[in-house]
Amino acid sequence: MDIADGTLLLIGAIFTLLITGLPLAFITGLVALVFAFGWFGAMSLPLVTSRVYGFVTEYSLVAVPMFVFMASLLDRSGIARDLFNAMRVFAGRLPGGVAIQTVVVAFFLAALSGIIGGEIVLLGILALPQMLRLGYDRHLSIGVVCAGGSLGTMMPPSIVLIIYGLIASVSIADLFTAAVTPALLLMGSYVAYVLVRCLRNPELGPPLTDEDRQESFSSRGQALKAIVVPGLIAGMVLGSIYGGVASVTEAAAMGVFGVLVAMLLRGEFNLPNLHTSLNQTMTTCGMIIWIGIGAAALVGVYNLMGGNDFIADLILGFDVAPIVIMLIMMAILLVLGMFLDWIGVAMLTLPIFVPIVEQLGYSPIWFGILFAVNMQVSFLSPPFGPAAFYLKGVAPAGISLKDIFVSLLPFVAIQLCVLTALLLWPSLAMWPV
Amino acid sequence: ADYEWKFQASETAGEPSFEIKQEWAKKIGKMTDGRVEIEVMPINSVVGPTETLEAVSAGILQGHMTDPSYFSGQNPAFGMMGNLVGAWNDPSNFLTFMKHAGGEELYNELVEPYGVHLISAGTFPLESIPSTVPIKTLDDFKGLKIRAPQGMVYNIFERIGASPVNLPGSEVYTSLEKGVIDAADSTVLSNNDAMGLHTFAPYPLYPGFHSMPMIAVSINKKIWDKLPDDLQTTLKVAFDAMSYDLIARLQKQDIDTLQKLKDNPKVHPIDLPAAERRKFREAAEKEWKVWAAKNEMCQKVYDAATSFLRSRNLL
Amino acid sequence: MSQSNPHTNPIDNAELAESGSPEESGESPRSGFDRLILRFGRGAAWLAFIAMAISVYEVFMRYGLDSPTSWVHESVVMLVATLFALGGPVAMAGNRHIRVRVLYDHVGPRLRRWLDLLNDTITLGFCLMMSYAAYVMFWNSSHNPMGEWSLERSGTSWNPPFPALVKGIILLALAIMTIQTVIHLVQSLRTCFAASHSPEDHA
Ligand code: NA
Ligand code: NA
Repeated sequence: MDIADGTLLLIGAIFTLLITGLPLAFITGLVALVFAFGWFGAMSLPLVTSRVYGFVTEYSLVAVPMFVFMASLLDRSGIARDLFNAMRVFAGRLPGGVAIQTVVVAFFLAALSGIIGGEIVLLGILALPQMLRLGYDRHLSIGVVCAGGSLGTMMPPSIVLIIYGLIASVSIADLFTAAVTPALLLMGSYVAYVLVRCLRNPELGPPLTDEDRQESFSSRGQALKAIVVPGLIAGMVLGSIYGGVASVTEAAAMGVFGVLVAMLLRGEFNLPNLHTSLNQTMTTCGMIIWIGIGAAALVGVYNLMGGNDFIADLILGFDVAPIVIMLIMMAILLVLGMFLDWIGVAMLTLPIFVPIVEQLGYSPIWFGILFAVNMQVSFLSPPFGPAAFYLKGVAPAGISLKDIFVSLLPFVAIQLCVLTALLLWPSLAMWPV
Repeated sequence: ADYEWKFQASETAGEPSFEIKQEWAKKIGKMTDGRVEIEVMPINSVVGPTETLEAVSAGILQGHMTDPSYFSGQNPAFGMMGNLVGAWNDPSNFLTFMKHAGGEELYNELVEPYGVHLISAGTFPLESIPSTVPIKTLDDFKGLKIRAPQGMVYNIFERIGASPVNLPGSEVYTSLEKGVIDAADSTVLSNNDAMGLHTFAPYPLYPGFHSMPMIAVSINKKIWDKLPDDLQTTLKVAFDAMSYDLIARLQKQDIDTLQKLKDNPKVHPIDLPAAERRKFREAAEKEWKVWAAKNEMCQKVYDAATSFLRSRNLL
Repeated sequence: MSQSNPHTNPIDNAELAESGSPEESGESPRSGFDRLILRFGRGAAWLAFIAMAISVYEVFMRYGLDSPTSWVHESVVMLVATLFALGGPVAMAGNRHIRVRVLYDHVGPRLRRWLDLLNDTITLGFCLMMSYAAYVMFWNSSHNPMGEWSLERSGTSWNPPFPALVKGIILLALAIMTIQTVIHLVQSLRTCFAASHSPEDHA
């Protein structure tokens, strides 16, 4: 069997196993094991667990449990509820106001951290139940949480861009600079989408009524008080990064510490709360990480099978205009993004794509931004949309994976529009570089 | 091809040294008239960098071109062979030691029990230290928060009074930018510049003096032992030539970068005086001694390296 | 109905918000062994707390007292890796691993039982192969080439045997998952067997 057939068989196997309802965590891992065994024999099986080891000891993932822990604690204290009630007051009579604010909060979270997962879990635990409680449309709320939560890997300090910079040997500073406008563009598009839909049908995001105001806060002053604590926590995390106190990963731990202190001061701290939060952290991480483990293993096996050569030949086999090659690469990234998480896609394709991009005379910085936006799509696109999985792990039990993916489709469409715009007008990203 | 091999390298695909490695793999294809076909794969493409020794030993990979320091955890002697911090003031010293003073034989004594054979040792130009503050003497290291990863470099920085911070490579950029650390053990000058480090760490130390990782070009021992004589010779000669080619080309890049940095009024490269470098080597030797005591193999590496350095009046 | 009244939202939305986090309302453990693993997981979850606490300690020591530690970063990675690895069996015990339920939710109870049986069988195959691979990996990291016991260390200045430990924990996690799956498989077999012998197949 040659690698082309192997690739088709591999994708076919993943789809078949998906349909049977086998846990996602085992699908990619199982396919990796079977292909390693079939292609190279039993002696190659330890390759799979070797990748597992590499994945779980990945330093950049340390922030994941910290964010989950922080979110779970905030959820158990009254801080989150107060924050969203206050946001509602500030949103006033604007339909969809809280959803818009959630996007903005997500954007600031994105400036705090560069990983995906943590932010979505945080927003999924905090914002989603609150938006549902306030009567917001389910699909809109889910979309806002996942799309907004994914922004962390676009906004500096973004681990996707750092890894891209290291793989492509280009300036991380330039990548960061170029990423800001596209990230703002994505955020702006999400806000615009929410606004348009809620203005046309205010029931999707009901604004505040007078009686609500009585229920929650009687004045803006009181509402302001409610956001002091979360504001301080955010300030602590942001401050420790931008003040040079802590590394990006340590800052997540500082955030947890801040929440614990806040809970103590508010008299909300108790051992059962702490215990439940830790337990949720453990289970959620188990779920999230084991999905990544399988994908990481699969990439190693596929590379060994010659998958990297196969992809390179696939692209260079076309005798077409450079921009078409770019489009082909984008298409490959989009397809791979359906099945693998971004680390997998990066390790598989960037070593092949970046030299081609440079050969064609395009800027590798621009391509890095295209890659990052492409990965935004991959977070949301079925069947392997990490954002959807992360949310599923913490969303209210009644929300199914199908609900989530359906909610994400309009946001995927928005991301594709932004991607197209960046392809057509590179200066949208490149103007400050 | 009679032999199709996959060798995993320790660089990402965009690094110049990776391209040079790939180029030489292609040349070997021509030299052997297509009998040997080597595919060089970037870091992490099949297994993680600390796992390639085991993968080559098991035959999952046929070879690797990597820094043996990654295997320090298996035997500290790998760390001593892979990067004897502070020992070498020039790559050519190290290559002479490896190729003409018993270094390669010693490394094979260490690695062959793992089922892996060293074909040829290479190395990089000395790494530079990007710093946010000027370091003009060894005393300036006192209290300096400097990123130091695995191996003995951490303790040697401690010995000269610095406060080493253990951070992974992916955190170097942001930590240096935001001031979490003052300086970093990072890669060679041209790579650091490509990353953009010098915009906020404008006092790079160049030429470097602390770290110069070895590149162990190794192959599964069973494969090597079964190779016909002519192919063994071709591989050895080719990879030896690669070592010198790699050094020459990377050094040229560093020097070009240095010129560019010197022309930039905001960047001030610093050349540490010879007396300060000697002080650093003396501090380092104390640490080598500590490592030498760890096992018999470590002692052998220590003895071989120090007697070589003494013979050249470097110690 | 006033369109600005927040309480006009469909009732299922409110229910959804109150339906709690998944582990409070999710599926229950399938066996006594799963319950044991869940209890064990509650203890292991404290690793996240320790990782947080020592990270904060490192920041304080480095920024406040200018004396960074040599052990915090490695320990945090080790603690989190352990948390991740053990999270696998814990999520399995709570039946929390995510699956696509398109087919599952649209078939009758009979086919569903067969799907369960199929999935448990495939999962067992996965766990067995993984455990074997993890065993080889752990053996190599706990023995030197001469076959003597010697733990793989991190090679840093502190040089703890964390690589060997983490590899051992991966093996442990996979071994636990294998036992869990064997029990699940026996349960599924029993259900299928019992159902095929019972006259009413439409529970
Ligand atoms: Na970010
Ligand atoms: Na996807």
